Amino acid sequence: MKWVLRIGGALVALLLVVLITLVAMGHRADAGRIRATVEIGASPEQLWPWVNDRDKLTRWVSWLVDVREETPDAAVGARRVWVMKDENNGGAPMEILGVFREYIPMKRLTVAVSSGDAFDGVQTYEFTDLGNGRTRMDIDSHFHFGARFAQLMEPVISPAARKKLVGDLGRLKALVEEHASVPQPAR
Amino acid sequence: MKSLFLARILLLAAAGEEYAEHVAGDLEEEFRSIRSLRGAWAGHRWYAWQVVRSVLPLLNMRARSGELTPVLLCASFGVAFPLLLLDRLWSFVYSQIPLKDGLHRAPEFLAVNALSASIGAAIGGAGTTSMRSAAIRAAAAAVSAGFALWLSAGAAPAIYVSILLLAAPASSLITFMWRRTA
Repeated sequence: MKWVLRIGGALVALLLVVLITLVAMGHRADAGRIRATVEIGASPEQLWPWVNDRDKLTRWVSWLVDVREETPDAAVGARRVWVMKDENNGGAPMEILGVFREYIPMKRLTVAVSSGDAFDGVQTYEFTDLGNGRTRMDIDSHFHFGARFAQLMEPVISPAARKKLVGDLGRLKALVEEHASVPQPAR
Repeated sequence: MKSLFLARILLLAAAGEEYAEHVAGDLEEEFRSIRSLRGAWAGHRWYAWQVVRSVLPLLNMRARSGELTPVLLCASFGVAFPLLLLDRLWSFVYSQIPLKDGLHRAPEFLAVNALSASIGAAIGGAGTTSMRSAAIRAAAAAVSAGFALWLSAGAAPAIYVSILLLAAPASSLITFMWRRTA
């Protein structure tokens, strides 16, 4: 039985260290905040549809399979439902409701997002025209997780979410620049 | 001429302390007679086949007698169970990402998995008293790591699989050797 106690003791000790670290990290000032920036070789006019159009969004936001428009107009108060495929939950669909709080075309879009009891938060997309057909897009998100265990795991979830966002922005940049470089037909 | 070295090691590991010499001696005797009648190649082939055929029944016999229980428990609770638990935990983390994410785990998560399996296997290795039982526990650690990988939902890059399958048995053996020399 000695070895069972050894394994158990070591695992419990390890678990305690991890728990204390997670609790301490969960109290940092920017807990739940995810920020990312990308500079894209396209004008704000060329970039704007990529955060609004369903077909374009599903091309760069990984695991997004559909965007349902619950209200027809894109304006403050508009409601969009993002349907994500959760591969870590057996591929189950997960719906995220987004309500536009700010809608300034080609400048700024702020969306209040929520997904049942899982999480809620605010995500802001800000576009800065850098001139010469270049735009900087800043994404600033702040999330609060509903479940206790998710709150505990926040110091692990937020960096993983940021990594995912950076990957998505890399895909967006490639897609937008590829699209922007194609000469548009003369009208 | 000796029988195949690797096959002999496998047989000794599978047979355990109680049956090893008896089983190995019988096979060795038969091997010599086949080799002298049909040549070295036929003898080796026969020996290897006999070992392959015997491994599972021998392990089954030892498991039934309770001899393998500590090894199995050690491998299960020290390596496989923590790995599967961590896999579930990473699945939860990725499913909590507001915009969701896939099955590819971050390198630091995979490093935690490898570290956890190594610690579990090392503790198991520390509990052994002979080289033979240490080798069996190391092999069991590798098998249970492989089993946990097979059951994991997360994607497992080849480098991670290689590290895990090597680190688990290596840490078990290293701890045994370190304890013996200390």
